[in-house]
Formats: sequence, C-alpha cells, structure tokens
Amino acid sequence: MLRDITIGQFYSVKSPVHELDPRVKIRFVIVFIILSLLDKNIYLFGLLTIVFMTALIVSNVPVKHMVKGMRGIIIFILICSMINIFTVYGDVLLKIGGITITAEGILKAVYVFWRMLLIIFMSSLLMYTTTPTELTDGLEKCFAIKGNVAMGITIALRFIPVLMEELDRIMKAQEMRGAEFDKGGPVKRIKSLRTVIIPLFQNSIDRAKCLADAMDSRCYTGGKNRTKLRPLKYKKQDYIVYAILLVLLIVGIYFIIKF
Amino acid sequence: MIKIKDLEFEYYERDEEENLTDMINAIRGINFDAAKGDFIAIAGRNGSGKSTFAKILNCLITPIDGTVLIGGIDAINGSDEDIFKIRKKVGMVFQNPDNQIIGSVVAEDVAFGAENIGIPSDKLWERVFDALSGAGLGAKMADTKIDELSGGEKQKVAIAGVLAMKPSCIVLDEATSMLDNKSRWEILESIKDINEKLGITIIMITHNMDELLIADYIYIMNKGRIFLRGNKESIFANKEKLKEAGLECPAVVEIKDKLLESKVLRTDGIFSVKALVKRIKAEHPNSFFLDTKQEENHIVKAKINPVNAILFNHADYSYDKKTVLKDISLSIGKGEYVVIVGGTGAGKSTLLKLIPGLVKTDTDMVYVDGVDVMDKASDIGKIRKKLGFVFQFPEQQLFAKNVYEDVVFGPRNTGVTEVEAEKRAYEAIEVVGLSDEIYDIPINKLSGGEKRRVALAGVLAMQPEYLILDEPLSGLDPEGKQNMLDIIDALHKDAGITIVMVSHDVESAAGYADRLIALSGGKVIADGVPANVFYEMYLKAEDREKEIYNLPVIMQLLIGLRNEGLEVSCLVKDIDEGIDNILKGLK
Repeated sequence: MLRDITIGQFYSVKSPVHELDPRVKIRFVIVFIILSLLDKNIYLFGLLTIVFMTALIVSNVPVKHMVKGMRGIIIFILICSMINIFTVYGDVLLKIGGITITAEGILKAVYVFWRMLLIIFMSSLLMYTTTPTELTDGLEKCFAIKGNVAMGITIALRFIPVLMEELDRIMKAQEMRGAEFDKGGPVKRIKSLRTVIIPLFQNSIDRAKCLADAMDSRCYTGGKNRTKLRPLKYKKQDYIVYAILLVLLIVGIYFIIKF
Repeated sequence: MIKIKDLEFEYYERDEEENLTDMINAIRGINFDAAKGDFIAIAGRNGSGKSTFAKILNCLITPIDGTVLIGGIDAINGSDEDIFKIRKKVGMVFQNPDNQIIGSVVAEDVAFGAENIGIPSDKLWERVFDALSGAGLGAKMADTKIDELSGGEKQKVAIAGVLAMKPSCIVLDEATSMLDNKSRWEILESIKDINEKLGITIIMITHNMDELLIADYIYIMNKGRIFLRGNKESIFANKEKLKEAGLECPAVVEIKDKLLESKVLRTDGIFSVKALVKRIKAEHPNSFFLDTKQEENHIVKAKINPVNAILFNHADYSYDKKTVLKDISLSIGKGEYVVIVGGTGAGKSTLLKLIPGLVKTDTDMVYVDGVDVMDKASDIGKIRKKLGFVFQFPEQQLFAKNVYEDVVFGPRNTGVTEVEAEKRAYEAIEVVGLSDEIYDIPINKLSGGEKRRVALAGVLAMQPEYLILDEPLSGLDPEGKQNMLDIIDALHKDAGITIVMVSHDVESAAGYADRLIALSGGKVIADGVPANVFYEMYLKAEDREKEIYNLPVIMQLLIGLRNEGLEVSCLVKDIDEGIDNILKGLK
C-alpha cells in the first residue's frame, strides 16, 4: 500500500506540459496557488478548476494514477475541512446534542476543501510532469537557490520510491516476527514503530555514505562549473504559456474585485 | 597508468574516552601496477581490504603511507585539482545500484559525471548516447525512469555514467554481486568489450570466483595484503592458498582439473566452457557422432510429499494492472527443500510473499496447512507463526542495541514467558553457529556475514515449521555462502523444517535442493529434480546462448558437448557425475 504513494514522482510520458520549461511551470503553479488563496469566490475557483483540468488533460497523466497516489491526502484534507462545519458561527441548520451545524460552516468547508484540492493537485501536476533534475534547475533559477541545495532536493525526490519500498519491506519483516503496528493505544503504536524507524534511518545513513562516494567519484564539487544536459532555454510555447498566465492573473483579479 | 608502492592504510575506531576499540579496513604494504588497457581482477573474502583498496584508487580515502601515482599524478599529496583530474581518469562503479544513481531518468544520470567535468551542453547528448551503447543499453533507454529498471539495467546505467566521462580506467567494486547470473554475464561481457574496444583499463573487485577468469591478471588479497598475484594458470594451481584466503576455485577450473586427472583432456590452460568443448572434441573426434538436434528425455518429476503444506491453486497476482504471476498451481510438501529459480522479473519474490499473505490476492488461491491465507476469516496470525520469512538482505532490518535484544524480539511478541523467550533466542543464536560471546555485542560491530546470521536467528527464534528465504546468499563471499548453506541444510535435515528458497546462485541450489521450480514471466515453466529443471529451462529459453549461463557450469559443459554430437547425459547432480558421464560417452 505504501508503494501506491506517488507524490513527487515524475510520470514519464510525452506531452506538451512535460516539454515546458520548468521555470514556466513553477511560476504558473505559484500564481495559481496565490490566486486560490486570495479569495473564496465561486467564479475564481471555477476558473482555476478549468485551468487545472485543461492542464491535466494536456499533460497525459492519467487521473486514476493521480487520485490513487493521493487518496490518503484527500481523506486528510476532507477531514480537516469538515471541522469547519461544526466550528463556524452562523445560521444554525441542525443541532444535535452539543454539536451545531451552520450553513456558513458547510459553505466554508466546501471552499476550504476545494481550495486545498486545487493547490495539491496543481502542485503534484508539476511534480508529475517535471523530472527532479529539471525541477531543481527551475527552482535554482526562480529563487536563486544555491546549486548544492538544489542537488539535495533532486536526491531527496529520487530516493522517495527507494525508501518507500524499504519501509514496506522492513514493516513486513517485523510483522512476520510478530510485531503489530495497528494494535494498542497511540503510545504503544509509536513504540512499535521503533523497530521500523531505526533500521530505516540506519540504512539511509549507509546509503547516504555510499551515495556521497558515488558523487565524489563522479567529480561532483558542489555545482561550480557544472554544465547541464538540458540547459534551460525558453521556447515559443513557453512564452505562450507565460501569456496565458498573465491573462489568468488579470481575469482572476477581476473576478476577485467584481464578485 | 597506476603505480602503487608500499601502500598502508589503517582506520581506527575509538570510544568516548579515546580508547582504541577496533581497527578495520587495514591495508598493509601493497604494491600494485596497472598499465593502459590491462584487465585486472582483485579477489578476497569480505574484510580482506579489497574495497578499501578500490576507494584509494579513486581518492575516496587517503592512505597513511606509501605512494600512489595515477596517470603520473600524486594521489596522496595532491591538491583538490589533482584529485579532480584523477577522478576524471578513474571512474568507479559500486556494488549497490540504488546507492550510486543520482538522476531520476536514465539520461540525466548518465550525464551527471560529464556535467560535473564541464562538458558543454551541446556535446552532452552525444556522450550520453555513446555511453549507453558502450554499456550495452539502447538509445531508447535514455528517457526511462530509473525505478522502472531491473538491477542489471541499473548497473549498466552506472557503467554508462562512468563511460560518459571518457575515463582511462574503470574500477568496479563488486558491481555484479547483487545480480542474477544472466545479467551478471551480460555486464561482464560489456566490460570485456569496453576493455578491448575502447582500451580502457579495468580493475574489477569481486568475490565471485568465476569472474576472475575474464581478467588477464589476478590479485588475491588476504588480511590487507596481496596474498597471491599472477595469471589464471598460476593462481588456480594453488588451491591450498586460495582456501587460506577464504576463496575457492571457480567451477570451470575444478572441472578442467578433473578432466585432466581422468585423462579426458590432455592440454592444460583452458579456462572457459566453450574452449573446453572445442578442445575435447578436437582430442576425441571419433566420439562425436550424435545428431545435434536430439534432445535428451528429461521429464522426471521430483518426489512430492503427499502431505500438502503449501498449495497454490491457480494463483494470479497483478500489480498496477501488470500481471506478475499467472495461473500458478504448485504443491509443496512438508519437509521438502525447494529452490525457486528464474530471471529478474519472473515473479519469484512475489510468489514467496504470497505464502504468508504479505501481498494480497483472491481467496481460494493460496493455502498453508489447509488454511486459505487470503480469506479474511482465517486466523492469519496463526499461519504466520509457522512461517519464518527471511527477506533479502535481512541484516537491513536489525534494530536493537545488541544481538540478543534483536533475536529475542520475535519470541517476546508471541506472548511466551520471558524465560521461554530467552531460551528460544539463545537456541536460535546457537543454531546459526554464533558463540554465546556475541549476545551483548552491538549490531554495528558485526561483520556482514555475522549480521545476516543474526537476522536469520531472529526468524528462527520464532520456531517456524517453514522457512522462506529470499536470496539468502546474495552478497556473501564464498565462505559466507557455504556457511549459510550448511545452516539451512542442517535446519532441513535435523529440525525437519520445510525450506522454500529463492536464489540465483544455481551452483549451490543444485547441490542441496530436492526440488527446483523455475519461473519465467510469472509462470511455472519447469518443476522437478534440479538437473532436469535446469535442462528444461535451457530448452524452453528463447535465447539458449544466454540462458545457458543460468545453469551450473558442469551442465553448461555437458550441453555444449552434446550439442557438438557427443552422446552424453546432461542431467547430473554434481561435477563428479558429469565427469563420469563424459568418460562413458567417450568410451
């Protein structure tokens, strides 16, 4: 089940979105997120949803793949946004015992859920369509991050699937030795995880040592004088997407002011 | 190209009060030379210092004394720039594919080193494609995601990554030890090609003895020293000394020596199966008359214990819409010793995981002692108690502060009294051949082989009736392997434990198992007595030339001889039986 988690994982298909310059995609996602945070507004959210859907369709990333990888998170934000139903004051719709449900609460819950979905789906779309290396190249340029920090991000993303698989294996191995991770109170549960976390950390440290050697031996010196296999260069379609982004920004702000 | 004199290296471990606790990875007075285009192999048991030596060649560690000249550059006293130059010249491929690949996509990783040395962007793609083809990978692979590759492919990517830097020397540190035989030989062949066609010096560290045969010159290391050095002829003439270094003769050499002894062969100095076949034919031309297309009658079922223990009933398993196992019907009896073989992606590990229900499939597909493992109504905890499961690299799952605490973890979970749990732990540690002095020793002070035995003890302390092992020999040196095989054999013979093991180490699988099951593409393609299963695997393979590497060496020879027309039975248990068959065939 752990191996189903696909967050942050590049999805290798050919598509116009994959081809875009990572800087364009990063800036697009940032503007998208800022817009979604500015206001709770049905027109704005509708617009953002349409934009996301279009991007998703063009990207060739199967919806199923995306939803499957984020089931856990969707449930989590659903629960978080549901809290609003009971905590927001307003016209009381229903009262059971000490719990009151208000119309405003429901509306707010819907908006919070919608907003979080937009943000998470859009940022994962960025991850699905951009290799970690491209992504860090882009971040490096967009935010003036140093080369070795960017390399750290690349490697972290690269090792998510490896560590997930390892976690899965260690848990199964300890289960076969009678460990029970899903029984007992929270303290007991956390305690039982010790048999998983310790080897996972130990192995990660060993891995890190090997990886450091491998990088040293391939002449990595922190990014100075490093060339790029795919140097960032804007193409025609990148400018077009920038133009679309500008339009989106203007229309978005118009919706916010108008409604 | 490489000149090393009187090399010394020591590594001390101290406790908090700066007292010496341990000295590891020492190297004592090594002299070593490599010229351009050499193919050198360095072998030795785990802990002999061979990997430390490899790292010195790449300036990953600095020796304390001696001279190291690489391409004329002083590697010990050199500046950062000098070290950069050395690493540009000497590339290195490491053991674990997952711990050396930096990119997420093949092309990105292959380019990594070349990017670091400042190759301009417009030349990089050319280098990537050249390197891919040099390492035996197609250009189509460039866009593939790393985690979709098999272990063998990942290792080829690592080799390509080094090639893209255009080195004059490549050091391989046990680069094939985690692979199955077929991928292993594929990689060795590309390395040989790289050596011959590109003139790149190869220094190959290994404890897989048959790999030494493709080298021109061999060093044997023992306790930090060069123990033996020479060409194949002289190294393998010295069996006693090899044994002293914890190594064994490659099977081919053993076969060759026995052929010489029994006068089948009259010329020495032959070190490959193909050459042996040719030579034997040349020396006995009259015995080769069989129609070469004639296959041997080989279908012999293994004796199956009628008491069913593990049953697969048309079991399927798929993951992400990809079929991993298809229509598996198998019955494994109580007390059997079964080895499952097959290439990467055949579904071996998944098959093992189905037994205790670690991966799920439909009900009525997997039974253990008559209980449906996949049925939610079954008491899975009770079934799992009977099943000891040893994962690949089980030492990576150790967690406790010392040996005893780790081994006692399992029995404690079963709810027996503390005294009983203790007793079981002690017994298990004894069974795996470790002394009682080891109880209080912290896990990280143990050697690799010891760790694996501790992990095995942790499983045995659960007192299982079945032992399921996934590649228990992977990464061990010859001594460690033998040790592990002896332990498993004793558990089978003395304690009556049913053994179900996945292994790509065919020589040993054939020697101990009663029964072999061959998987390919998620299906059982052969099931029976080991020799017969190997033969059937060979017959059924699409590419027999390559598949033959998955067979024990003696069978490779017999099949080779038979294909040339010698009337000889290929279905043998061991080398002696094979030699007898050849003698009979030659008349």
